[in-house]
Amino acid sequence: MSLSETAPHLIVRIQHRLGALELDVAFTLTQPWTVLFGPSGSGKTTVLRAIAGFVRPDAGSIVSRFYGREFAMTDTAKKIFVEPHKRSVRVAGQGAALFPHLTVRENIAFGAEGTAAADIVQEAIARFQLPGMADKFPWMLSGGERQRVAIARAATAAVSLSEGSILLLDEPFTGQDVQLRDELIEELRGWLAHTERPVLSVTHDVGETFQLGTEVIKIADGRVVRQGPVAEVLALERERLLEQLSPSKGTPA
Amino acid sequence: MDFEALWLTLRLAVGTTAILLVVSLPLAWWIATGRGGGRALVQAVVALPLVLPPTVLGFYLLVALGPLSAPGRLLTRMLGHPLAFSFAGLLVGSVIYSLPFAVQPLVSGFAAVDRAYVEAAEGLGASPWRTFWSVMLPLTRASLLTSAVLTFTHTVGEFGVVLMLGGNIPGATQTLSIALYDRVQEFDYAAANRTALVLVAVSLAALLLIYSRRGGLRRGELV
Repeated sequence: MSLSETAPHLIVRIQHRLGALELDVAFTLTQPWTVLFGPSGSGKTTVLRAIAGFVRPDAGSIVSRFYGREFAMTDTAKKIFVEPHKRSVRVAGQGAALFPHLTVRENIAFGAEGTAAADIVQEAIARFQLPGMADKFPWMLSGGERQRVAIARAATAAVSLSEGSILLLDEPFTGQDVQLRDELIEELRGWLAHTERPVLSVTHDVGETFQLGTEVIKIADGRVVRQGPVAEVLALERERLLEQLSPSKGTPA
Repeated sequence: MDFEALWLTLRLAVGTTAILLVVSLPLAWWIATGRGGGRALVQAVVALPLVLPPTVLGFYLLVALGPLSAPGRLLTRMLGHPLAFSFAGLLVGSVIYSLPFAVQPLVSGFAAVDRAYVEAAEGLGASPWRTFWSVMLPLTRASLLTSAVLTFTHTVGEFGVVLMLGGNIPGATQTLSIALYDRVQEFDYAAANRTALVLVAVSLAALLLIYSRRGGLRRGELV
C-alpha cells in the first residue's frame, strides 16, 4: 500500500559534513511507514535532524509535496530555511526528553492543537496504554514508560496538525520489551495510517525494522545503500551478513 | 526604629528587583543561548559592578545623572529636577549596581537546561516564544528565585553607591544602611543595633527563601 495523493510526500536530497562523516543522501518517502536503517554513526540521525530543522545541511533541499504543491523546508540554493516549529513535521528525538514540570497528560497535550486537541490527547492516552499514569510526573515513570509517552506526545502533535504532517521518530522503541513494542507499533501504525500521517523512523535494530517497515532505506557511511520493501532489503542484508560470516567463501565444502 | 528608612529601603529593593527581572531575562537568555559576537564584552560590562568599588560606580553615576554632564542636564530638563539625590536616581544606581547578581544566576540556569528539551518543544511545533515561557522558565524557576532574592538582598545591603549618588536625605535617599551609619556617627549604638538587626532579619529571611525551596525542586534532570 503506497501513500495516497492526499498525504504529504517528503523529498530529501542533502549533503552535509559532520566530523568524519560525509553525508550525501537522496530519497523520497512513498510509503506510510519508512524505516531509515543503518549502523550507528551511519548518519541516519543527522538526516532526521536535518528534516526536523535542527541541523542546517551544507547543501541540498528538503521538500514536502502535498496535494501536488511543493513546500521547501530547506533549500540551500534558494537560501530557504524554515524554522523547526514552522515545518509540517513533528518529532520524537532520541531520548524521551519529557518536560519534567508537566504531567504525562500535559506532556502529551503540549503539541496538540486545533479544536479536537483534547479528544486526540484522550485517544493517545488510551491507545498507548497510559491511562494509569496520565497524572503522574515523568520522574515517577520507568525508562520504557517515558519512551512510550514521548511517542504518544509526538504522534498526538502530528495527528492534531490540521494541514497534514510527517512524523519523525528517532530510535522510538528502545527499551521496550518486544511484545509491548509490537503492540505499540500496531497501534501507532493503525492510528497514523487512518489519519494519513506518514512516518519516517530511524533504527539500528533489525527486529524493529521488520516489524515497522513497509519500506526500508538502508544507509551506511552517509550514503543510501538501497531502498525498497522491507523483505527485499533485509534479505539482501542477510545474504551479505552470511557471506561475511562464512569462512569458506568461494571454496567447496 | 527608623521606619522611614526601612520603608524607603524596601521600596528601593522591590523596585530594583522588578526592573532587573524584566531587564535580565532577555539579557541572560541572549548571553546563554545567543549567537554572534559582542557577548564577551556584554558579559564583562555586566560583571563590572562586581569588581568596581561602589564609590567609583556611584561617582560616575553622580556625574552622569547630575548637572555636571550633558546627559545629566538633559535629564534634569526633562524631569524638572536632577536625577541625582532623588529616589529615582537611586533606583537607576541600584539597577546598575545589582545587575550582575540578577543576570548571572539566570545565565547559569539557562545554560544548564538540556538542549534536548528545547528541541523537543520545537519538534512539537512550539514557537521560540512558547518554548521560552512554557519550558525554559519553568525549568529555571530556581534560578529565577535566586536571581530575585540576590538582587533584593544586595540592594538592601547597598551603601557606597547610595551614599555617593543619593546623598543622605531622610525620606528620599536615606536607606537603612545609611541610617545605621548615621546612628553610629552619633554614638547612638542602641538605635544602630535596632537598625542592624532589621537588616540581618530581612537578609536572613530572603536567603532562607532560596535554600528552603532548593531541595524541593527537580530541575535540569533529563527524563
